[in-house]
Amino acid sequence: MGKRIGASTRDLIITNFVAIVAGLVLSGLLLLLLDINPIQVFSSALTTLFTDRYMAAEVFLKATPFIFTALAFAFTYKANLFNIGAQGQFYLGAVAAVSVSLLLDGKIPTPILLVVVLASTLVAGGLMGAGIGFLKARYNANEFLTSMMSTYVALAFMNYLLRTVLKETKGEYPQTDALSEAAWIPRIVPGTRLHLGFVIAVVTAILIWVFLYKTPMGFRIRAIGSNARAVELAGINSRKIFVIAFLISGALAGAAGFTEVNGVQRMLIQDFNPDIGSAGIGIAILANANPIGIIFASILFGAISVIGTMMGRMPGINVPPSIVSIIQGSVMLFVITAYYVRAIIGIRRDKKRLKREEA
Amino acid sequence: MREEVKGNWSEIEIRNVSKYFARVVANKDVNFTIRKGEVLALLGENGAGKSTIMKILYGLYQADEGSILFDGKEERIANPKDAMRFGIGMIQQHFSLVFAHTVTENVILGAMRGIIPYAKAKEQVESLASRYGFDVDADALVGDLDVGVQQKVEIIKALFKQTTLLIMDEPTAVLTPQEADQLMEFVRQFVADGHAVVFITHKMKEVMEIADRIIVMRDGRISGDLRKEDTNEAELSRLMIGRDIVAPEKVDFEGRDHGQLGLIVENLSLSRGKVKLLDDIDFHLRPGEVLGIAGVSGNGQEELCETICGIRAFDSGSIVLDGVDLSELSLREHIDQGIGYVPVDRHRDAMIGSMSLAENIYLKFSTHDDWNRHGLIDANNLRQKTLESIEDFDIRAPGPDVPAGNLSGGNQQKLILAREMRLAKKLLILNQPTRGLDLGAINNIHTTVLQARAEGLPVLLISTELSEIFALSDRIAVMYKGRFMGIFLPRELNTERIGLLMAGIVPDDLAHVADEEIRAEVV
Amino acid sequence: MSVVVGILARALTMSTPLLYGSLSEVVAERSGMMVTAIEGIFLIGAWGGFVGTYLWGSALYGILLAMGLGVVVAAVYAFVTVTMRQHQVVTGTALNILVAGLCTYFQRVLFGIPTSPLKIERLPQLAIPLLSDIPILGEVFFNQNILTYIMYAIIPLIYFVLFRTSTGLAIRSTGENPVASDVAGISVNFVRYMTVLFSGLMGGVAGAFYSIGFLGMFTAGIIGGRGWIAFAICFLGNWHPFGAVVGTLVFGLAESISIYMQSLGGAGFLPNEFFIALPYILTIVLTVSRRNFKVPAKLGVPYVKEGG
Repeated sequence: MGKRIGASTRDLIITNFVAIVAGLVLSGLLLLLLDINPIQVFSSALTTLFTDRYMAAEVFLKATPFIFTALAFAFTYKANLFNIGAQGQFYLGAVAAVSVSLLLDGKIPTPILLVVVLASTLVAGGLMGAGIGFLKARYNANEFLTSMMSTYVALAFMNYLLRTVLKETKGEYPQTDALSEAAWIPRIVPGTRLHLGFVIAVVTAILIWVFLYKTPMGFRIRAIGSNARAVELAGINSRKIFVIAFLISGALAGAAGFTEVNGVQRMLIQDFNPDIGSAGIGIAILANANPIGIIFASILFGAISVIGTMMGRMPGINVPPSIVSIIQGSVMLFVITAYYVRAIIGIRRDKKRLKREEA
Repeated sequence: MREEVKGNWSEIEIRNVSKYFARVVANKDVNFTIRKGEVLALLGENGAGKSTIMKILYGLYQADEGSILFDGKEERIANPKDAMRFGIGMIQQHFSLVFAHTVTENVILGAMRGIIPYAKAKEQVESLASRYGFDVDADALVGDLDVGVQQKVEIIKALFKQTTLLIMDEPTAVLTPQEADQLMEFVRQFVADGHAVVFITHKMKEVMEIADRIIVMRDGRISGDLRKEDTNEAELSRLMIGRDIVAPEKVDFEGRDHGQLGLIVENLSLSRGKVKLLDDIDFHLRPGEVLGIAGVSGNGQEELCETICGIRAFDSGSIVLDGVDLSELSLREHIDQGIGYVPVDRHRDAMIGSMSLAENIYLKFSTHDDWNRHGLIDANNLRQKTLESIEDFDIRAPGPDVPAGNLSGGNQQKLILAREMRLAKKLLILNQPTRGLDLGAINNIHTTVLQARAEGLPVLLISTELSEIFALSDRIAVMYKGRFMGIFLPRELNTERIGLLMAGIVPDDLAHVADEEIRAEVV
Repeated sequence: MSVVVGILARALTMSTPLLYGSLSEVVAERSGMMVTAIEGIFLIGAWGGFVGTYLWGSALYGILLAMGLGVVVAAVYAFVTVTMRQHQVVTGTALNILVAGLCTYFQRVLFGIPTSPLKIERLPQLAIPLLSDIPILGEVFFNQNILTYIMYAIIPLIYFVLFRTSTGLAIRSTGENPVASDVAGISVNFVRYMTVLFSGLMGGVAGAFYSIGFLGMFTAGIIGGRGWIAFAICFLGNWHPFGAVVGTLVFGLAESISIYMQSLGGAGFLPNEFFIALPYILTIVLTVSRRNFKVPAKLGVPYVKEGG
């Protein structure tokens, strides 16, 4: 038995590694079309990544919101629910973060302010999530559609605020005033932009893992995802769990608003981080919705994103930034196919052994 | 337009066919011949590989080794379309009908091309139905029909495709004895027309009644190939089971006076629209008694279980367990009252295949304080209790952490029963607990039921297997269209009588018994 | 009056691509396949439409390229979800990200970074003689572009195929109970491949409509969730072609009003952004209020055949 588990873990590592490499190779081939030597740019980007402290820290900086949005998707996914609206919950979290920060800035000490801001993002994202969960529980509204559409509504809402009440004092661009230093999340590695938010994200992921796998409520959420009817028949109210799962999921996505506004941008700008919701889905899939796996998958996606940015800035080379989506999308697609490949390998192996035993 | 059928072969030979699923050998070196004008019975326990070999012949599965020959010529059957071209039709054990479509639409599926002449197709369906004396409305939605009628739709489907070899997989499982007789009549007529039938079953009696030749299968292999006149039930049983199995013995029920203890159901009714799912049901199930409920499935048995368990609300009547009125209680409170329930479809209602044995046990205890510690699941305690259950119920599993879905059907059912026995302090409800299991597991479960009875638990046993009902019940109720046709002592019934009751007819010689008010107090 | 006629005509125009998308989604979902790659298919259709027209000088080539690219994306989607049996929502999400990257990337490969946006000629409005002279109706229905006229024919055609032919019966049975199809000798995978590829074809045209028929250019945000709206309309229209028609007209109208209001810069106390969000809000409201869905029983469930 032990040997079998070993074999399937080995399959998992190998196939996922191959999937990631395949994604990189595919994007590398596309670079050839622009007369860019992919080996050269990739190796130079990777060298920088491993030698330049600032750029290395950027990887973790980028990974921070990914961890939150990926956890948001994974959390409902465990209950076989789809929260496609992490992007919108993140926007509301960002709006809450910037509003509360601007409002309380200088009025209370920094640590308390940051806690209050974080709490406000959790509430903002959580309420939006719970709303979707409520519509599902009360009206059986398809959560995939409502969460998807809610993102566009949240975006319009944010843009409205940026154009009106939150607009900078200069009144020139649709963006807020900059936050004062008192509302910044402290940086943890000198000379880089990496801030405490990354630590919070990692701790959150661990807590979510404990919650899902070690607590009765986490058990129920996972059980609902596998067989909702059996859970209902065990006397558990699945509607309540829909709302709870979406509440937590939304709160997680909202927290990304805190780390991005108070940790990175230090203001709210129109159209910022438009892809972290979908990247979160990709990361969650890559990690098979395992919270601990999400930490590593987020770092991988963070690295892809930093490499993409670096390649775009290389003098005289000019790699288009869309290469990042291509790498992300193709890695996701290959990882999905790896699930199938693993299943096939497993069945072949079982069958072969069976035939050997028969013979 | 219809497809052309080449069904004019005279024999099909299955030669050395083997089939491996990922973890089981489904068929190994299977050899036999199917001939026109003959009813061939495939006899074997559940899981013996009968269905698999026929699914290979029908093109649903591909053999890993071996070949299929038509009149000595090897042919490849890559999919059911190829099989149909040779005039082969197969009725699956679980019907392959589209419930949302009409009878006509179901019949012509895959048998017509291009624009569908609905009026003409309907006429053809009706004429086929009348030729074999089937009373089927061509415009009815299949989902609205009784299972017995659905089976007729399946037969018409096959006939419409000019089938010359009809394979039927456990066709009597859903029928009343009388309906089963009609089916046998059809089979004889069909074979007399020069066609062939393969009849898959695990029931010895049917084999002796209908078969010309018998193939016995065990563990994926052929263990006997005999003509009916050369064999008998004892030999078949030996070939089929291959080992000694001792059925558990039952001591007689003692008719003690239990007062108001046990389960008392009065005037229980439930309707959906105009359909009466439960119609004025009355009974008193006493401690230490097994009340068997016979009937064709779909006559309200599941609804009865679910209302008693608190899963479904009911319209009127009362349910009282050990003096406690259950009607105002939530589902959770029902469970906490001490009701154990093994539903008919464990995959749908009771089990989570992807979760471990331990987690499946925990499923019904996640709200119990003594299963949790400091807000976390008490893992040690859970492991301990799971090991206990594995031991006590003889669950064959590598350990408490393997996914329940990896176990065999019998062991899965034992796992569910183990969990429910932990809960069943006051009542045990079993809905077809042995459906689809092998004899070893069936015996195991029967032993548990009789043990529960001996310990004074009231047991409600729903089953479509009459042998099971007679073996375990102290009293027998027959359900038809949501109604109890009466509650009887086993000695008052025989196959014919119970068959009529299952069809909603009270035989004359039972009328006086059935009319009596709640027969509970008689004994 | 002319404002109203203008809004109605624009509503029909905006309905056209949504209807191509939602009708194709109806066909696919009736066979059990949610085409969640529809947003990406729309986008690559828009891009293909632009590129074909720009490079080869004719909208016909644009539409053909859009159809071709739509089919390619659909084929990848079908391969992963049907053959490999992977999750439909997850696969669609991955493909949508990938396609978004590819469109922008190849736009850059082909055209570099132009100083001013590249424009193509939009599909002309073809006034149908006589019919377009009918007051109001003529202006609304018969002064549209060629893709809208083709749509008029596609609606009854799809209805007929789905409900009056053996092909349609096979598609509907496959979505309700694939085992029934399989046992009846119909290849479940073949049916599902075909419906998904058809979705790619139609979705490609829908996407092309936005670049060729509407904007006259390509931008990365040209689709902006409209694929998802078409996807939603299929649900809201209860998986019926006529339901999809009603749904798209409602959305087309919402979008047309939205565009008109935005051109006024909002109306009274309702800001511009409200009208931008209007179609999405409408989707949520309808998703919540709609009752009695007749979901194809096996929608989104991969067909796993034992003994493979």
